[in-house]
Amino acid sequence: MKIFRFLFVIFIFYFLFFISSKDINAQSVSLSLSPPLVETVIKPGKSILIAYTIVNYADPVILSAKVLPFEPKNNLGQIKIKEEFEGPIRFSLDNSHLKLNQSFFLKTNEKEQLLLRLRVPEGAKEGDYYYTLIVESQPVTTQLEKSASFAKASIGANILITVTESGKIEIKPKIVLFEVLPRFRFSFFGEKINFFDSTDPIPLILIIENQGRNLIKPEGEIILKGNFGEKAKFNLIPQNILSQSQRLIQATPSAEIDCSNLSKFRACQSPVSLIISGFFLGFYRLSTAVIFGENSPQISASTSFFAFPIKIFIGLILALTIGFFLIKRFSPKD
Amino acid sequence: MKKATLLIISLSFLFFFLKSVFALNMESPLFKIQYGEIGIAGGNKSSANYSLSDTVGQTAAGQFNSTGYIVKAGFQYLHSIIPFRFSISNTNINFGTLIPNSPQTATTTLTVSFGAAGQYQVTAIEEGRLRTLDEVNSVPDTQCDGGTNTCNESLAKPWTSNTAYGFGYNMSGNDIPSDFIDSTYFRPFPNRQENESPAVIMSSANVGRNRQAVVTFKVNISPIQPAGKYQTIINFVATPSF
Repeated sequence: MKIFRFLFVIFIFYFLFFISSKDINAQSVSLSLSPPLVETVIKPGKSILIAYTIVNYADPVILSAKVLPFEPKNNLGQIKIKEEFEGPIRFSLDNSHLKLNQSFFLKTNEKEQLLLRLRVPEGAKEGDYYYTLIVESQPVTTQLEKSASFAKASIGANILITVTESGKIEIKPKIVLFEVLPRFRFSFFGEKINFFDSTDPIPLILIIENQGRNLIKPEGEIILKGNFGEKAKFNLIPQNILSQSQRLIQATPSAEIDCSNLSKFRACQSPVSLIISGFFLGFYRLSTAVIFGENSPQISASTSFFAFPIKIFIGLILALTIGFFLIKRFSPKD
Repeated sequence: MKKATLLIISLSFLFFFLKSVFALNMESPLFKIQYGEIGIAGGNKSSANYSLSDTVGQTAAGQFNSTGYIVKAGFQYLHSIIPFRFSISNTNINFGTLIPNSPQTATTTLTVSFGAAGQYQVTAIEEGRLRTLDEVNSVPDTQCDGGTNTCNESLAKPWTSNTAYGFGYNMSGNDIPSDFIDSTYFRPFPNRQENESPAVIMSSANVGRNRQAVVTFKVNISPIQPAGKYQTIINFVATPSF
């Protein structure tokens, strides 16, 4: 009987001390926000309503929502959210019980619909305006009596707004780079010649610049043609290129490379548009033709490369040399 | 007979090298090269390394109707019915009692889920230095081991010395910056109070889903650090691309 009492006390101690204390300290946050992207073309003087859904999948949490402008950070689709609000667009929540920058509470597995009203004032300047709706958690900083850092989780959804009176948008694209990243590059009579081993994956970069004042979305393909008549097509992914910015455009289907074994491979050091895998022999030409919606101008570019089985060739020479050496070494002397 | 043996040895060498040459995967479940289409070696013959052209134009927004607006939600090129989701496994990163020259570490796991595919980024910034509640004393942001191993907000360097003091973080897992070479490499957090820009700590320019990374926080205080409870807030912001 005593042993059972002892075990019961141990169990209660374990439950209260370890399990309970873990529950208090290990606060987790898991939020989802949809839709992740909204694009709108809108006239001055008009307003629209966007219904966002925020869901809390983890511990109960206090949240608040705000809207801040952003700008493209680089050509990889990353953004830099500005610290202060700017621009002519006016945002508010149509929810009866909620306002922007006002805290609200979500229990575990509870969701809230945020009705974001977007209004373009009369006389707003035509052009593009880019914003992010941010929903952020309020960290509980008073629980711990020890030194600690507290993580605050913020989740965003981007809003791309094109303000136009006429409905016309400016399409002013330029291909700034369409090039393979070769293993070797030679200069021959002033022309650069790209050279790969036959078994090398071919990394390709396509960067398009939007010189206009409205965002554009590329459509098109990259075509690979070999000297034996072989041909392969890769579709461009229609990713937005914001006004006055550049973007690395990706194409599909792209080969996947295990960079743990190929850390020096150039496609493992920086993002590329497309990786083409296979066995290549001879001269190849890559070309692309890009449009930006119906009746838009087409821009094009091309590049080329040579492929030769260097590794096989070296292996063959080495094997023959060793073979020749061994034959000579062990052959009977007359 | 000897010659035949030597020939076999030579060919064995050749096949050994051939095997290593063809070790690269030529296909995967995620891609397929579509050969077989008969094409004529045409195209732009005048091109050198690459050629390009650009055009200036304007087009009408076809769906811009009498309502005065068009709205499109979600990405055109991926199934975005599965929403963008961001998780932090533990928001209370407890360092316990700080002991001089004895580095304390704690971890939390960041997870980004993005439906079928999508580009995203996660940034981090500290709202202020790790400091006492009265804001009188603070632990400096780490400079790692110093000298050639001086790290900054955008470059991780080794931090192994117990006499190098400060507060910083290491990253491991998916889509992390390449300067976090191993678990000894750290960076200081950018500080909002010093008008520094948030650091991108996870990002993917390629498509991906359920990406996960572990943030290891590290703090090491000097013997002259005043006693007290030091705290700060780290803001992790996850955003999809556009």
